[in-house]
Amino acid sequence: MSFFRTIFIALIAAFAFNSAVAADIKLPEYQTVTLDNGATVLLMPRKDVPLIAANIAVRGGSLADAAGKEGTADLLGEMLSKGAGSRNALQFAQTVDGAGGSIGFGSAREAITANAQFLSKDSALMLSLLADALLRPTMQAAEFDKLRKRAIDGIANAKDSDPRQLIGTYSGGWLFRGHPYGRSAGGDETSLATISLADLQAFRQQQMGGDRLIIAIAGDFDAKAVTAQVKQAFGGWAKATGTLPQVDAKARESGRRVLLVDKPGATQTYFALANVGSKHGDPAEAAQDLVQTAFGGRFTSMLNTELRVKSGLTYGARSAIERPSQPGAAVITSFTKTETTKAAIDLALATLDRLHKDGLDATTIESAKRYVAGQYAPGLETAPQLAAQLVDMTLYGDSREVIDGYLGTIAGANAAQVAEALAVFPDSKDLAIVAIGDAAKIRDWMKAYGPLTEMKLTDPRFSP
Amino acid sequence: MRLLSLACAIALGLSPVAAYAATPQPTAKVPGSEAIVSKTLANGLKIVVWPDHDIPNANYYTFYKAGSRNEYPGITGLAHFFEHMMFNGTTKRAPGEFDKQMEANGGSNNASTSNDLTIYTDWFPSSALETIFDLEGDRMANLSFDPKVVESERGVVYSERRSSIDNDNFGTLMEQMQATAWTAHPYQFPTIGWPSDIEGWKADDLKKFFKTYYAPNNAVLVIAGDVEPAQVFALADKYLAPLQKQPAPSPVTTVEPEQQGERRLVVERADAQSPIVAYAFHSGIGAGSKEYPALELLTTILSQGDSSRLHQRLVEREQAAVQAGAFAEAGFDPGLLWVYAMLPPGGDMAKVETLLDDELAKVARDGVTGAELEKARNLKSSAFWRGMATINGKARALGTYEVFNGDYRKLFDAPAAYDAVSATDVQVLAKKILRIQNRTTGLLKPVAAAPVADKKEAAK
Repeated sequence: MSFFRTIFIALIAAFAFNSAVAADIKLPEYQTVTLDNGATVLLMPRKDVPLIAANIAVRGGSLADAAGKEGTADLLGEMLSKGAGSRNALQFAQTVDGAGGSIGFGSAREAITANAQFLSKDSALMLSLLADALLRPTMQAAEFDKLRKRAIDGIANAKDSDPRQLIGTYSGGWLFRGHPYGRSAGGDETSLATISLADLQAFRQQQMGGDRLIIAIAGDFDAKAVTAQVKQAFGGWAKATGTLPQVDAKARESGRRVLLVDKPGATQTYFALANVGSKHGDPAEAAQDLVQTAFGGRFTSMLNTELRVKSGLTYGARSAIERPSQPGAAVITSFTKTETTKAAIDLALATLDRLHKDGLDATTIESAKRYVAGQYAPGLETAPQLAAQLVDMTLYGDSREVIDGYLGTIAGANAAQVAEALAVFPDSKDLAIVAIGDAAKIRDWMKAYGPLTEMKLTDPRFSP
Repeated sequence: MRLLSLACAIALGLSPVAAYAATPQPTAKVPGSEAIVSKTLANGLKIVVWPDHDIPNANYYTFYKAGSRNEYPGITGLAHFFEHMMFNGTTKRAPGEFDKQMEANGGSNNASTSNDLTIYTDWFPSSALETIFDLEGDRMANLSFDPKVVESERGVVYSERRSSIDNDNFGTLMEQMQATAWTAHPYQFPTIGWPSDIEGWKADDLKKFFKTYYAPNNAVLVIAGDVEPAQVFALADKYLAPLQKQPAPSPVTTVEPEQQGERRLVVERADAQSPIVAYAFHSGIGAGSKEYPALELLTTILSQGDSSRLHQRLVEREQAAVQAGAFAEAGFDPGLLWVYAMLPPGGDMAKVETLLDDELAKVARDGVTGAELEKARNLKSSAFWRGMATINGKARALGTYEVFNGDYRKLFDAPAAYDAVSATDVQVLAKKILRIQNRTTGLLKPVAAAPVADKKEAAK
């Protein structure tokens, strides 16, 4: 078993995708092909290792889940490989594993997603498996029943595990209470139980089709042969019959409200402080990324310095900005032993106040610029990363300038722009606060932060 | 050698004709691997460099042959705690300066500790290479221990422990099983450390650990990425060659006596919903052993992918578990082969044990099929190439083979080693390892209410 010094390894990887780097870091060349049914195909052949990767998005995704049936799109994604074409679920798995390949399906907010990676010699097999799954899933009842039960039981498993994995789900649900962004893409125990196979079939009919498809292929492959196969495999997929889900922006909240999630016997409290922040394509994105880096996006960030390095209150403290189509969450998360819950939350709030009061000095901004630039290229190194980037750009209608020009924008961000971008993080008096911990021991402290709502970790949902 | 590297070498006042051995043609033909070079400094530090100019970045991996295997009661967790202290100040730099300077130059870092190794990694734009050498050389030579920082860092490590062990049921169960499966060998100690040791170790323990294990002759340095070997070796001469060689650490000589019957333990958790059933078998095989590839293929057939034996039987056919898996530990000494199943709330632990027993017995009794063996080899082959797709994977793989197999070049024999394993080899191993007498069984059992009123976490 290994123990890492910091939790930042994942954070850096995630961050590198949102931002862009060294002035000369550009996306490798790729071709875009639009099929007659509206599908977008992106091809980036690169001689490196003998692997081929595919990344797929089918527009729509979990935002199209019916209210009360959260998790429909995600279950559907998983069902696609539980029997497709002429293969039953076991045969499908045997074929993928037998070739040493990998295929994963699921759903994000704005798209049903698939990722695959195979040895280059199996590129035709990979494409035929993906086409079978998307166009010809068998959707058998027995497989559906198993999958749904396992999804429900898996949430109970997760609640018995490290709460770091769950704090984001509760925080998102609490901040976006009553808004589509507050729904868990994977659903919860209650919503999953109401979903039927017919719901999945209806969703597939309405929300999946060739006009919604974006498929990017990167790696070591023959562009001509693969293009022909993609056209043949996906060109005949009919259009989706439904409309794309539309979401209104949620305004930033004023005031505070607190959700306490009781985990009796917990020796540590996990907390999140959030409000609405920024959205995809925000012109202030680069300046905000510099603020995020300096405030909570790296080891020497203000939050980690205060809560970990200087005080030893926690193993890690960080912030994050998520940018979906409409404004998403800007959030601070950390954890500390039960006895120091108040000390750690107070320190996080004081650090947020200091960010707004003092801003960032020139040395810090320069350091953040270099850090963002220095960490950018490894996020664009492999075929799966590049394929994912192409799909993401297409999903949001971005040009390659989003990648190629990013580091120039970072380098060019001036002090005034950075000062203005501080506002991506809320004022400390305007926060949706969540704490997972031993309620009997921390309830009184949590009450002091604002009107308190309480639920149990074992309640079969992620919101009160 | 490219023009750039010549210019670099000249700028550094070096002869471009460096004395190092070229790597012979590897078994697995990885593009660019012919450019790998290595050199051992007079103080015993071995350096391996893989120049790769795909992206303008590089990494700097230091593998120390020190882990929780080198601990004893009273200082458990010290190797990991020490890992934290390596970032907390030298006689030249105040605590925090290491990270500040690295990040201001575009670099990031992390480190990990296991039973066997402590691994430090820096990821940076290649323009920062000399800064990285300066920072790394300084902490290898001049580490200091500020008593205030030592105390504060205890809190950080204990917080890490609460997340990965105390508030994670599988983490809690594995720790108890590890402590039970080993009676003599120091693999019994949790890498994170027992709570009373986290609170109790002394500054002198840290100083002794540093002197004993953080010597150049007990480390391997691997750099992969946008660098030239001549440039790396020149910087190594400047920043690392002055480090003093130390007497070799005392070897770990304890051999675990053969287990003579099943050991069973139960962890009761009042707040749990989901039971867990887990087995830990002594594999009898270390990472450098010739049998290690067969061991890896055995666990791959048992657990990797939805078509694997454990997933199909426990999760798909019987629906007795939400997740089932198996993996073998890779270390200097023979480690454990773990098998586990996560149950749904209210799941039947006895039934799951019966199912696991039956599946494991089948492999031992009937062996594996040719198709399964081929599948496992293909999965290993894909994993090998995924590792070769990044400079990070390349450095990590080279270092792992250098420390565990004694030669980084053996990395390129890995695909051939998997090809050489027969179905009989896998069955023979299964028969030898997957016996009840060789097993520690751990059960995580949800119970109704907390039995103890208000227990203290640790000694203090």
